[in-house]
Amino acid sequence: MARKYAVRNIRLCTKDCLCLYVCPSGATDTENSIIDVDKCIGCGDCADACPSGAISMVPEFYPDQQEVEDDVVQSMRKLTRSKSEQERIASGLSGKLAVAIEKSNHIMAEELLRESGYLLPQSDNTKQFLQSLLDKPQPEGFPSQTVEMLLEKYEKYQEEKSMDEKSTTLDNLMAAFTGESEANRKYTAYAKKAAKDGYVNAAKLFRAAADAETIHALKHFEVAGKVGTTAENLKDGVEGETFEYTSMYPPYVEQAEAEGNKAAALTFTYAMKAEEVHAGLYQEALDNLDKEEEEINYYLCPVCGNIEKTRPDKCWICNAPGEKFIEY
Amino acid sequence: MAKYVCTVCGYIYDGSDGPWEDLPESWECPLCGAAKSEFELLEEAPSDVKPVSESKDPVEFKEDQGNLTSLEMSALCSNLAQGLEKQYMAMEAEGFRELASYFKKVTAPAEDPAYSKMLDLLETDLNEDFPRANAVAGEAEDRGALRALVWTEKVSRIVKSLLNRYEKEGESLVEDKDVYVCTICGFIYIGDQLPEVCPVCKVPNWKFEMVEAR
Ligand code: SF4
Ligand code: SF4
Ligand SMILES: [Zn+2]
Ligand SMILES: [Zn+2]
Repeated sequence: MARKYAVRNIRLCTKDCLCLYVCPSGATDTENSIIDVDKCIGCGDCADACPSGAISMVPEFYPDQQEVEDDVVQSMRKLTRSKSEQERIASGLSGKLAVAIEKSNHIMAEELLRESGYLLPQSDNTKQFLQSLLDKPQPEGFPSQTVEMLLEKYEKYQEEKSMDEKSTTLDNLMAAFTGESEANRKYTAYAKKAAKDGYVNAAKLFRAAADAETIHALKHFEVAGKVGTTAENLKDGVEGETFEYTSMYPPYVEQAEAEGNKAAALTFTYAMKAEEVHAGLYQEALDNLDKEEEEINYYLCPVCGNIEKTRPDKCWICNAPGEKFIEY
Repeated sequence: MAKYVCTVCGYIYDGSDGPWEDLPESWECPLCGAAKSEFELLEEAPSDVKPVSESKDPVEFKEDQGNLTSLEMSALCSNLAQGLEKQYMAMEAEGFRELASYFKKVTAPAEDPAYSKMLDLLETDLNEDFPRANAVAGEAEDRGALRALVWTEKVSRIVKSLLNRYEKEGESLVEDKDVYVCTICGFIYIGDQLPEVCPVCKVPNWKFEMVEAR
């Protein structure tokens, strides 16, 4: 998805300042009235709110220019040459008509050049043109610094554009991974419900579809390059679980209790405590990863998600009986 | 009664001021100011298909292909500056503006400039190069190029008709009159009744710029 950012047309701005109130990033609040490109997240709220139509959303990157066929370029260039020559003649004549014709021919030459490969300023043609200026010997007074500045800007643009294209696909892969993962859990829940209500076929279909989403999710995740070495993955596991039990769940539990939603408070509490256990187990596995060890069996509580290394009498988190634990 | 159509702006003369033949040679298009000679007989059942010339021979322009003259570079840079202004790229636009005026400044003046020389060039443009470019761009289905050619060809006709009138009328053509140029397509208007929109490119007339003598 092409990113956009906001620009304010200072000539149209009537200082009604709604953009200041709606901007979530503070990008519109600048001393020189120019919206801060680095802060702007491209939400478009300011453009919608501005009563004077003073804000436009402009794309950060433009699609590549379409190729113009060589014989079209040639025949347009022949005309361009003639228009430029007429501009030159007119510039040597006095009188209003000559001035008008000079301007007119300049505009026609611009128009013809624009449609023969110079429509988009950020194109290879522009780059080659600028480069050719530097490659030739130029007389004194030639603004070579300006040309260098323009080339640098062009290169920066191209670099950022290609980075953006790569990161877009990466973002898409991760968004698809999230979506497919959610679908898998959702269909699993639906399958359970269907089985409980005796809809055997619907239950089967939901299970198959849930597995299909797992296949997709795993593939997306792998292509996105998110599967590391086992040591890396264990570290990631520690981090993820730690974040959940220290930062994510505590406020959830608090909020659910404040709302009096007991079921939510309970499922959050179970998960929070289980995640802490998981984090500890991941850390232990990481510490012992390269040591020769005898095989370990893990026991999973099917009620709260607690994991133990020996089958307990009952779950310390949720009191479920030990014989219900699933062995791995 | 026979109707005549302005080849510049498409205005149709329906005979309301009398038969075409009786109109004086100094009569001009009420919409765009084109001379009477820029009108063509309007065929009944007007076809909107543009006559496309058959000549599609390659252009003999290869010898200095890629070598723009300094004035062409000036037009190229001012065109790029406009594109960048539209993108709100102020710094880059400023850079190309600087290059555009540099290239204009270093352009050697024409030797013995004369109105007749412009007319000669326009003759070739309108008789050979526009038909050929139109055919080539039509073949390539290049709509951008075709649009640019339609505008520039119309403006070229206007310039030609102004030059023809200037040959006959001299300075009185523009004396005590306002002269405007459409900053989008280059259309030239002489007089004080600016059309609401440009007859060539259809921009509103506040995009016109009044021209002052040097
Ligand atoms: S909302 Fe529009 S008019 Fe008001 S300060 Fe912002 S840009 Fe200017
Ligand atoms: S687009 Fe959103 S973030 Fe950017 S300036 Fe406007 S309101 Fe602020
Ligand atoms: Zn439990
Ligand atoms: Zn115009």
